[in-house]
Amino acid sequence: MIENNAKRINPRRAYEIMENGVKRIVLGATSDFIAHEAALQHGTSKPLRTPKQAKTRILVVAHSDRGTLDDHAKQCLAAAAILADANTAVVALVLGELHEDLTNTGADEVLVIAELDYVAFQPESELFCVKAVVETLQPSHIFMPDNLIGDGDLGRRLIASQPEKLAATHVIELNLGHIANYQLGGTVLALTNLPFIVLLAPETADTNLPFAASALKLDQALAHPVKDKVAIANYTSLGIQTIAAAKIALEEADFIVSAGNGVNNVQTFQTLATALDATIGASRVAVDDGKFARDKQIGATGKTVSSSTYFAIGISGAVQHLQGIKDCRHVIAINRDHSAAIVKRANLSLIGDAEEIMQALITAIAEAKLATQEAA
Amino acid sequence: MIIKKIAALVSAGRHPVSGEARHCRNDSLAMGIGLALTKKINAISPNAGSTNKTSLRVMHAGNPDNAALKDYLALGAKNIDVIALTAECNIIDSLANELTNTDLILTGSRAENGQDSGLVPYLLAEKLSFSLVANALEVELTPEGLEVLQFLPKGKRRSVIVQLPAVVVIHPLAPVELRHAYAQQVTGNISQHPSLRFTPVMDQDNGLQWQKQSILRKPIKLKARENKSGHARMLSATVSENKGGAVVIDGNSVEKAQVILRYLREHRLINF
Repeated sequence: MIENNAKRINPRRAYEIMENGVKRIVLGATSDFIAHEAALQHGTSKPLRTPKQAKTRILVVAHSDRGTLDDHAKQCLAAAAILADANTAVVALVLGELHEDLTNTGADEVLVIAELDYVAFQPESELFCVKAVVETLQPSHIFMPDNLIGDGDLGRRLIASQPEKLAATHVIELNLGHIANYQLGGTVLALTNLPFIVLLAPETADTNLPFAASALKLDQALAHPVKDKVAIANYTSLGIQTIAAAKIALEEADFIVSAGNGVNNVQTFQTLATALDATIGASRVAVDDGKFARDKQIGATGKTVSSSTYFAIGISGAVQHLQGIKDCRHVIAINRDHSAAIVKRANLSLIGDAEEIMQALITAIAEAKLATQEAA
Repeated sequence: MIIKKIAALVSAGRHPVSGEARHCRNDSLAMGIGLALTKKINAISPNAGSTNKTSLRVMHAGNPDNAALKDYLALGAKNIDVIALTAECNIIDSLANELTNTDLILTGSRAENGQDSGLVPYLLAEKLSFSLVANALEVELTPEGLEVLQFLPKGKRRSVIVQLPAVVVIHPLAPVELRHAYAQQVTGNISQHPSLRFTPVMDQDNGLQWQKQSILRKPIKLKARENKSGHARMLSATVSENKGGAVVIDGNSVEKAQVILRYLREHRLINF
């Protein structure tokens, strides 16, 4: 046997992954490969992007809806965080209440002004407040979602009030070098340099970020001037009305209950829709069977919906149907088959008989409503 | 609340495929609302003298020979006042100059033939110090002011009372029935009112320089650059992402119903 004096290197020696993704061997550490792999797969430790001493800031202004920022607003935050360099902090100015954690959205600092909810129409106070915050923070850029819950309006007011600042609206593409939007009735793509105020169209940035942010709550004193200035009123808000769910077009609906082949009793289904105050939709099979009108069909050959809740009952989730619901935020599915395609798409799936669960849900809703009434 | 002068601003549209000049739908909705409002106000006091009547002035800033303007005549405008402007002129200053004594300005939400930024009404309101309400579906005159029904997404509507003078931007979903009549197109009149012939204000060169490209290029979504190790990249390529949310298999239907309710409550999707 030949004596081999060459030093053997443990191929599974301990290492750690640096912030820039480079693998470094930890000298002298005992090998613990498996534990390390497990930690890696969980992906719990995203590196923190937040700069310690921010020299400049990017301000993202957005209205919240029911205490959360919608996807569009989060895309703006993500865009700001991606474009920000090592010395730039992303500040989220949230108008309306905020109940969620923004660490994974890229916001380094968060300022919440709960009084400026979009439910009331108060453009003067909003504009005054945003201008005050801009004055204090002196951001290098302002990003806002170009939406209809008030940010598109507020952004345009902000642009109009300071015409010397460069601005662009309906922006569909942006990076450090340029931004782009459609002009001349959507017949040309126009490019220009990144201006001061950018109103972003939806789906312009990917919200998957490889880093986390600290989402520090900023001092509320920054928002204080708003309270003194609310008195001026060219506008009186008479409040919001919600159209009865049954009358809303599917494309506009916020809560859709949708039936597929698994729904045998349409009566129960309609009772459930009424109880939830939801708009009714259907898959192609259910429409073909004559259970629902053609205009209720959701999917590739029917309508594309973007509701925040989509409740799929007895729908297996064919590709064509999933295409129609790709913009839905919360998908809940009831299905007998746990390997159905809809289960992979749904945020919550319940495996069981549709009729039984619907009946139980109708009873549960009635009880819950009664309890709320008694409490009130 | 008395309202005397209403103006509807109309722009030249273009067909999205052929590029043919035509009316801009958003602006014709605004004009339609203006026509209906004028008619309604004048119907309340039919005996008022011609000086006390509410009048609608349909205005266009741009080329007076544009074929698109004929469409507005066909859709109900009896007369269109045109401020003849070339591309270098500042639309806002010229319009503001003409509209200072107007009580209500109606416009569409987005043009089809320029930068389409939707900024014109905002700049105009700022210049004239008018109030502004955007995304309007219905407009009605009440004793307290102008009541505007605003569009909000997800089947919501908001009512707002706005003090005049105001600029109201009409949402594309406004319930206005437009009727095209050839006879009106023939009898209608496009005029460059003498008073409108003034030296156009030249646009200051403070805007952005736009570089035009073909729309065949699809916009690129902004993605974060990932500095993953080779091993992590390999993992993400081979291991499929854990898709799908919670799956509830066990339990009876009552328990499952409770799971659904809990989910809906947790995400504030229901209020009971």
